[in-house]
Amino acid sequence: MQRLTRDLLLVLLGGVAVRVAWGEEHLAYVRPGFGPLLLVAGAVVFLLGVAGVLTAPGRDDDAAGEQQDAGPSVGGHGAGAHGHGDAGPRIGWLLLLPVAVLVVVAPPALGAYTAARQAAPPAPPAAAGSRIAPDDPGTDHVTLPLLSYWFASQEQGTLDGRIVRLVGFVTPREGGGWYVSRIRISCCAADAAAISVVVDAPRGDLPADQWVEVVGTAADPVPDPTGRFLEPVVRAVSVTRVPEPVPAYEG
Amino acid sequence: MATAGTSARRARLQSTDLLVAAIALVVALRLTAPDLLSRPAVQAWSTVFVAVCLQALPFLVLGVLLSAAIGTLVPPSFFTRVLPSRPALAVPVAGISGLALPGCECASVPVAGSLVRRGVTPAAALAFLLSAPAVNPVVLVATAVAFPGDPEMVAARFLASLLVALVMGWLWTLLGRSDWIRLPEQAPGPERGRTATFLDSMRHDLLHAGGFLVVGGLTAATLNVVVPRAWLDTVADSPVLAVLVLAGLAVVLAICSEADAFVAAGLTSFSLTARLAFLVVGPAVDVKLIALQAGTFGRRFAVRFAPVTFLVAVTTAVAVGAVLL
Repeated sequence: MQRLTRDLLLVLLGGVAVRVAWGEEHLAYVRPGFGPLLLVAGAVVFLLGVAGVLTAPGRDDDAAGEQQDAGPSVGGHGAGAHGHGDAGPRIGWLLLLPVAVLVVVAPPALGAYTAARQAAPPAPPAAAGSRIAPDDPGTDHVTLPLLSYWFASQEQGTLDGRIVRLVGFVTPREGGGWYVSRIRISCCAADAAAISVVVDAPRGDLPADQWVEVVGTAADPVPDPTGRFLEPVVRAVSVTRVPEPVPAYEG
Repeated sequence: MATAGTSARRARLQSTDLLVAAIALVVALRLTAPDLLSRPAVQAWSTVFVAVCLQALPFLVLGVLLSAAIGTLVPPSFFTRVLPSRPALAVPVAGISGLALPGCECASVPVAGSLVRRGVTPAAALAFLLSAPAVNPVVLVATAVAFPGDPEMVAARFLASLLVALVMGWLWTLLGRSDWIRLPEQAPGPERGRTATFLDSMRHDLLHAGGFLVVGGLTAATLNVVVPRAWLDTVADSPVLAVLVLAGLAVVLAICSEADAFVAAGLTSFSLTARLAFLVVGPAVDVKLIALQAGTFGRRFAVRFAPVTFLVAVTTAVAVGAVLL
């Protein structure tokens, strides 16, 4: 790989990383606090590439230099370790892949596909003894993260007399019905864990991955389709379509 | 890309052409097959793949920066003065100094490579390679946060990971052969100034390590999408199988060492010892690391080092788990 190609690859990679980190796009892949780190890393890579392109004419294996003097420096390592020992290793071509996937597919945040394939109860929360906050100002219900709802529903009486509002996407349930789900990430999308709450209400024409707001009351948990643990249930009073929140992940 | 016989000039034309062709191909795919790219499985795969690459990028840049600094700015005599000359003593010093590099495993591989290039005994460099991603403060704090009910998990992880690093370092002094390690040539250019050499070695290493990181990202994303989490729970009941399955899972999922504790905490149906094995194996051997190590130290090294590390890590985790958990 020649110098110019190598440096252009770095410009592409760094440029895409900066663009993703600058806007909200990175929130589909990494946790929110990671944005600045990614921005700095992308900028370093981008500037390295740009500086390489700009300073290229002075380099020893520039085209003009080579024609005049094809001797020691270029011929020397060009013949022996070709494709490896020159400016960029061949494996570096693979860096085009993440760039291409980001630009062409621009994959969205993980959703129902991931949630449906991940059947396991969530880990216990950091702080035990869940207390439910007072109602949202000016309403008769309280908005809860799905994880809080999951654990509150396991403690007798915590949700008695309360109306809750849950926001998540629609996941079809194996064995009938549907969930309102949310993905939690702790570092990046590779460690995604889905939290799903069974919605006791007809799904209607809601497609999978449609974001909804479910307002309702707690009902008795039911066994999950595999029968290994209990899933929380919300008895819905209203189900409303809402736009996807930013960030889409909880936690 | 070009065969060895082609002239340097042909090769140059080809490599830029390839870049253009690759970009054209990507655009063509977008125009001709938009349906294929919008399937849920393809999208989930893409999200995980991009996430692994983006998440690793800052740590990779940090690692490459440090490794370029070690290679060009720190005089070789520094390490011979700091490290004990006997490898058996240098191993624990290097293992403990892993505490000082806050990052995940992507940063430690290039650093270890440049240490060897700088004349540090491979045994010490390998001990550092294994301990740095596993015992640094960021990882330990993350583990404490992920296991609020089991504080002994932090101690067990620290102890087991450090032991693995030391045992592997000592094993290398006993059995290792220097011709197993084949470091790739450095970016050429001895006649330029320090800054130019520093920047050029960063560019070269970024492409090199970055390329191997992509290989690991591809594997991890594929397994993440292909292996359903549900079948894991069916093996959790057997104590032996549980340890082996979680250790294997740590290898194929290639989760960053700063995040793996949260994933392990979520695997509630498994025993604490099995989850400790997951945490000890992950930062020491995973598909992303194997690819990076093969790139940095050569294939002959990786095919020996990875399986032995896996065995040592599983054994150590079980032993430490039996005592502490």
